[in-house]
Amino acid sequence: MNLKEFSAEKLVASYQRKDLSVTEVVSGVFQEIEVTDKRVHAFLTLCKDTALEDARRVDAKIAAGEEIGPLAGVPVAIKDNMALRDVPTTCASRVLEGYVPPYTATAVERLRAAGALIIGKTNMDEFAMGSSTENSGYFVTRNPHNLECVPGGSSGGSAAAVAAGMSVIALGSDTGGSIRTPASFCGVVGMKPTYGRVSRYGLVAYASSLDQIGPFTKTVRDCALVSSIICGFDPYDSTSADVAVEPFLQEIEKPLKGVRIGVPKEYFVPGLDSQVKERFEQCVRVYEGLGCTMEEISLPHTEYAIAAYYLIATAEASSNLARYDGVRYGVRKGGDAGLADMYRKTRMAGFGKEVKRRILLGTYALSAGYYDAYYLKAMKVRTLIRQDFEKAFERVDLILTPTCPTVAFRIGEKVDDPLSMYLSDIFTITCNLAGLPGISIPAGKNSAGMPIGIQLLGNHFQEGRVLQAAHHFEKAFLLQ
Amino acid sequence: MKITETDVEYVAKLANLEVAADEKKELADQLSRIVEYVEQLNKVDVSAVEPTTQILAGMKHAVRDDSVAQRTGSSEAGKTVKYFKVPKVITER
Repeated sequence: MNLKEFSAEKLVASYQRKDLSVTEVVSGVFQEIEVTDKRVHAFLTLCKDTALEDARRVDAKIAAGEEIGPLAGVPVAIKDNMALRDVPTTCASRVLEGYVPPYTATAVERLRAAGALIIGKTNMDEFAMGSSTENSGYFVTRNPHNLECVPGGSSGGSAAAVAAGMSVIALGSDTGGSIRTPASFCGVVGMKPTYGRVSRYGLVAYASSLDQIGPFTKTVRDCALVSSIICGFDPYDSTSADVAVEPFLQEIEKPLKGVRIGVPKEYFVPGLDSQVKERFEQCVRVYEGLGCTMEEISLPHTEYAIAAYYLIATAEASSNLARYDGVRYGVRKGGDAGLADMYRKTRMAGFGKEVKRRILLGTYALSAGYYDAYYLKAMKVRTLIRQDFEKAFERVDLILTPTCPTVAFRIGEKVDDPLSMYLSDIFTITCNLAGLPGISIPAGKNSAGMPIGIQLLGNHFQEGRVLQAAHHFEKAFLLQ
Repeated sequence: MKITETDVEYVAKLANLEVAADEKKELADQLSRIVEYVEQLNKVDVSAVEPTTQILAGMKHAVRDDSVAQRTGSSEAGKTVKYFKVPKVITER
């Protein structure tokens, strides 16, 4: 059995027809992982025993003719920054080594309630800080399409697990593109919903005004299905939005004709790869063919987005990561010279280079004398970026861009040059600054066989429309 | 603005981080490049712009009722023994 060919929908239908048993599929998943993950390195922790136990339970339900959930028996991988009770949660950081949460994140709990089986926790850039999954405190994850290339980040393990057929769906988190970039690099679907749309209860915080959980899937229909399950209000998360969730699976089948799509002229940057650009232009024509009105729009403050993002995100991170001090979680070092000594030694031993760099930058941006010049200025520029989108959405329903300026780059290529790594986030970052929903969908491969992704952005809480346009594209593109 | 090794030491102290001696120069150089890059924000006139402190306009402030409720896991938070043991607090000024 090759899991690569199964969407979640197709898998559940096979269970219902009794063509496949959940136990055989889940056993197959772990056999696949045993072989493939030796090369890809997507998983930090596997939950084999509990997944097989859960699988037998679903099989018994099906045998008894009981009703099963919409994701019953579907293998799912979880980024290791989401809490799963009694299973280690490391955020790919040495500072959390040995930490076992006593509760489960709401988004994960909702997937389980729908019948999904958690097969493991996936590798990531430490504390979600990175665009390549090279910053993990444990090991580097590789791109299943070319093992010499990065899978993108920070949710690289989740994207690689789905792309390599080691999982059917996965959860990731996206602070500046951490779902959409790896989705693009690995050739899968990945969506960051509107800020506040999915509960972050149980998600380890990186930058609280930007973080959002979202799904990785093979098809847009699966993305709509998973989103309809994980989206929605949660009283355990004070930033959770109390806004009704549309039935996405019905929304996406509505005809697309007449939808207005904007293409921002500022996104044709000098670093845009020629093959990505060519493919993107082909995608614009696909949408024209679907009856959409394509329009050039302007998002004039785009060039300042990366600067604003790296000040805001690092400032928030410097505050959020202050809690890793050796007192409550995981690792503890030093302490012979008192509490302050323990704090410093624990943090020095526990955090990797990029995390330290971002904590230092964020602390600097917030420190006396620099707050107005850096952090406050960035917050004001964020307003301008948000207003750019407000104006754009008066004219268009959706915005179409490439997801990334290039395909997956080689491992090691940018690791010593943090600024060049930051610059690769140019197309994904504005969406987080403005709190919008955004999706990356596969648009074929380049001449070297590496996947190219395109991104659709919608207005706040317009996931239904974003998914609808993505779904129609997916169908039309497959026919080409 | 250029970040010096002294700046790195000062900020590291504020952040409760220790930076190894051989890391200081590299960090100062990398942070200098990043700070020089973000200083392009100075080209933008923000004199009449309010900072974004809430992303979604019109969202209500979500505070729950101040009442006792059973929450999954809370009773087990202390099962890791190390949790509340810390070194002496009053050791330095």
